[in-house]
Amino acid sequence: MKVRKISLDDVDIKDERFRFSYHFNLDTFLLSIKKIGLANPLVVTIRDHGFVLVTGWKRLFACKELSFSPFPVFVLEQDDDLKAFLFSLYENLTHRDFDLLEKAEILQKLNKYIHDERQIVKEYLPLLRIPATLSYLDLYIKISRLEARWKRVIYEKKMSLPSVELLMEFDAAERDLLLPLILPVGQNKQRQILEDLIQLSKKEEKSPKDILNSQGIRSTLQSEKLSPPQKAEQVRRLLSKESHPFLSDLKESFDASLKRAHLSKEVKVESSSFFEDGEFSVSFNLRDEQDFHERLVKLQKLVSDKDFFSLFKRIPDE
Amino acid sequence: MNETLFTPQKIFITRDSESLPLTQRILKNLSQIKVEYVQDPQDLIEEIQISRDSIGEGKKYLLITRQRGHYVKPCPCTPHYVGCNYFIINADLNCPLDCSYCILQAYLDNPLITVHADTDKMWKHLDDFLQKNRGRLLRIGTGELGDSLALDPITERSTELISYFSTRSNAFFELKTKTANIKNLLELKPPENVVIAWSINSRQMAFTEELGAPDIKGRLEAARLVSRSGYRVAFHFDPLILYQGWEQGYAEVIEELTAGIDQKKIAWISLGSLRFPPSLKAVIQKRFPQTKITHQEFIKGRDGKLRYPKPVRLWLYGKVVEFLKNAGAESISIYFCMESEDVWQEILKKTIRGKKEVERLLTLPLGDR
Repeated sequence: MKVRKISLDDVDIKDERFRFSYHFNLDTFLLSIKKIGLANPLVVTIRDHGFVLVTGWKRLFACKELSFSPFPVFVLEQDDDLKAFLFSLYENLTHRDFDLLEKAEILQKLNKYIHDERQIVKEYLPLLRIPATLSYLDLYIKISRLEARWKRVIYEKKMSLPSVELLMEFDAAERDLLLPLILPVGQNKQRQILEDLIQLSKKEEKSPKDILNSQGIRSTLQSEKLSPPQKAEQVRRLLSKESHPFLSDLKESFDASLKRAHLSKEVKVESSSFFEDGEFSVSFNLRDEQDFHERLVKLQKLVSDKDFFSLFKRIPDE
Repeated sequence: MNETLFTPQKIFITRDSESLPLTQRILKNLSQIKVEYVQDPQDLIEEIQISRDSIGEGKKYLLITRQRGHYVKPCPCTPHYVGCNYFIINADLNCPLDCSYCILQAYLDNPLITVHADTDKMWKHLDDFLQKNRGRLLRIGTGELGDSLALDPITERSTELISYFSTRSNAFFELKTKTANIKNLLELKPPENVVIAWSINSRQMAFTEELGAPDIKGRLEAARLVSRSGYRVAFHFDPLILYQGWEQGYAEVIEELTAGIDQKKIAWISLGSLRFPPSLKAVIQKRFPQTKITHQEFIKGRDGKLRYPKPVRLWLYGKVVEFLKNAGAESISIYFCMESEDVWQEILKKTIRGKKEVERLLTLPLGDR
């Protein structure tokens, strides 16, 4: 490859045929170029209309922001788009992992260049650390077609693949409604909201749109008293309760029994996970004889609560 | 009696299995099917694994090969619940039936219907195993990693297995099926220690969730014929599934079962509620988008599998046991598959301390239980 110096205007940045990274933070690149200049030249290739960038999008945008021009580039002499794209792919592979959106973009581009999808699955999915099946290829290509605002959310919120996979079960209009629920919460709660909504939709045979537009959820989302995270949390709880009515009721009854017994914060009564073991654990601290006596009196109240001990015999409403 | 015939699109045979007697028998029974010989089945398996529906794709082909591992293994059961000390013979893998809840969809790496044809090795492994456990009465069967009789019209394996076990008195040998493929069984003299078992569900669940399997009427008719011919039979209500109308559904099938079959011939009935590893949920929903079985409330059990919450399971088991008792089936040995000690205690009033006790219970002579 020949090294040349070119100016920013020489590169057609609208030609993104070899690009697969769209979301990144330029801070470290800006700092690096400010301190030492561009140590690693970008790689370009020549097409009819001029230079097309092959690798180095972050460096290019950093140069642009700093008006750092002209700058050195390697010129890749390669007329074949697939080979130039693979150059970019393998060059990046030598020094970093790809995130979910980059993998989606890579596979979407390979799918345009290579007509045999089984070849893509066999050669490139293992390279990207994706299970080698056509279903995964389909999923990543679907992700590459997501709305730009959702791609931004996936990048910024570091959404996990299982959550994104759940997200793909909704149509664009439903995803719009989901945005205020997913944006303010962390990964686990994102997944829980999506799972519960899908579960409820199937169980009740209602569209996710109808569920999200129901009175309870709509009034929560329109509330002026609640902050965005509070709204999302409240809706999460509502969805959880509606999709798991039996377990929610059991948990509420358990908590209510503890409340009736007026147990102080020093006495903890806990059930086994999901009440599976049919056992409670009781723990408390004490400093003296009087503390001990008080804790036992409170626990005695719980012993006489018949509702508490009938929890495990409860049967669900059909 | 309608037999369920498996007709693969193609038969793949590994070169080292070409001349085996079982291979030749299958080829004779499927003479019209195209055959391809392969050196190593791994490439073929990988090719199928790539498919969008690798499980469905694998059911289209038959692979005849040798067993690379051991033929006899303990049933993997599930951790942290009570097992039953069952042993499995890994003769055939996978199943041409397509049940929505089937655990094999998440359990096996090889999606092809696979017959291990090196039967000499199987007899050797069985001889060694039974010899090693000669002081013990065991339960062993072929129906864990596939349906015991689904391939029987082409393999005729049941004939050899029943003959083999007829002279091994320290084992109860069980063939577990959803099919009515009993032709080969009826041609044999039924040994005392051979049990022919059917997986049973309500009519509705059999219809919506057990694709390709005969309906309940067909299964019970097969069981009736087999028991009348002198075999012991067994029934596995597993998985019991909650749905609108489940009580009536299970009550009806239990009534039909107990009315048509002499209860003295029933060796055991097992109960298990729907359970599956979390990874199977997505597979079920993708492969069977119409199914509603995953819409219920599940908890993550002690073994990490999704199952109904315990109060719900107790309710379900309680009702089914009540239906069995109402139908006069009180003397039949009932056991739970992959349940906790307290479920045994609560529903069957039996204090069970581990799998050895379950083994002992199920291997007692019928009259002593």
